Amino acid sequence: MATENISVIKLRNLLLVTVPPDPDDQTVSALQEQVLQAMAQHECRGLVLDISTVETLDSFFARTIAETVQMVGLMGGRTVLAGMRASVAVTATQLGLTMGKALTALDVDRALDLLDSAPSGDGV
Amino acid sequence: MAKQPAATPTSPATGLGTDDSFRLLVESVKDYAIIMLDPEGRVASWNAGAERIKGYRPDEIVGKHFSCFYPAEAVARGVPEQELRAAAKEGRFEDEGWRVRKDGKQFWANAILSALRDKDGTLRGFAKVTRDLSERKQAEEQIQQQAREIMELSTPVMQVWQGVVVAPLIGSLDSQRTQQFMERLLNRIVETNSPLALVDIMGVPTIDTQTAQHLIETISAVRLLGAQVVLTGVRPAIAQTLVHLGIDLSGILTRSSLAAGLRVALDMLSLEVVAKNGKP
Repeated sequence: MATENISVIKLRNLLLVTVPPDPDDQTVSALQEQVLQAMAQHECRGLVLDISTVETLDSFFARTIAETVQMVGLMGGRTVLAGMRASVAVTATQLGLTMGKALTALDVDRALDLLDSAPSGDGV
Repeated sequence: MAKQPAATPTSPATGLGTDDSFRLLVESVKDYAIIMLDPEGRVASWNAGAERIKGYRPDEIVGKHFSCFYPAEAVARGVPEQELRAAAKEGRFEDEGWRVRKDGKQFWANAILSALRDKDGTLRGFAKVTRDLSERKQAEEQIQQQAREIMELSTPVMQVWQGVVVAPLIGSLDSQRTQQFMERLLNRIVETNSPLALVDIMGVPTIDTQTAQHLIETISAVRLLGAQVVLTGVRPAIAQTLVHLGIDLSGILTRSSLAAGLRVALDMLSLEVVAKNGKP
């Protein structure tokens, strides 16, 4: 059931990925795998991770996302985390979880703007 | 060998065991030339293995000096005598080198020369055990040659555009290959006056910290020339490995494919590929 919930959509030269509401470890790992495969297939210059439905977040999730950001960077893409909920941001800060070098945006719309203006994923 | 007399009775004439089965054993062994030399180096006994490896029959060789097994230049340098002296002094001498058969053909031999002394410590002669390692030597040389050829083959550096060279890496990178690859890449960059080099690692099966370190070194060397490297062909598996190993490639341009890398390169050179009908 884990992998069914992940949608990886190629949008112009970007990947749009919606993270399911309550992702378990397996889902997060599968997400990383699918994102990287899509990067290899489409040569996208950016990745938007829509986490607006995510209500809880743990250290495995945070670490895997941070790693994915780096991996996508190695493959030439930038990553934007879009729409993190306020409660999640509070928890993340309290737990000291960082998302590595990911850019952040309030919503997917702004994430697309950000990727349009930012240079492609160099030096991540 | 020198301690053998304690266990088996010895005949004063040869120093060999008188026990028939023991002599039969030595005489019948075909894979090793087991021969005895007198203190001056003349052949005193000869077994089936020696006949097979060196080509002489016992009646042709017994009594002759063992230097006839060595190539002329080794004899001229006094190698046989040096080996006898070394064996007499140290008790044992081991050597690998070319030896000559009766028909003049050379073979690669491993030879162990042991001094045989009686209870009083008087030198009675030498035991010489020789193995024919020609096949192994040949195989080793073949492997070395193939390795050289593979190295030559596997690191081409091609100019794909004015100012852009591409170096596809195939197979694993050890320090020797890196060294060669680095030299070749740097030379080509200078020759072609290219400010950009695309190093493609699509054909590298796995990457470890050492390989990554070699890559980073190569990239730093290129930068010293005033050129830039784009690392291309970063497959998902390679990206995952690099991150899990904690290898820091920050500051290095990386792309998932050679095509994407070429786009970056052209972009950096302010070039644009335009379709013929005028549309981008």
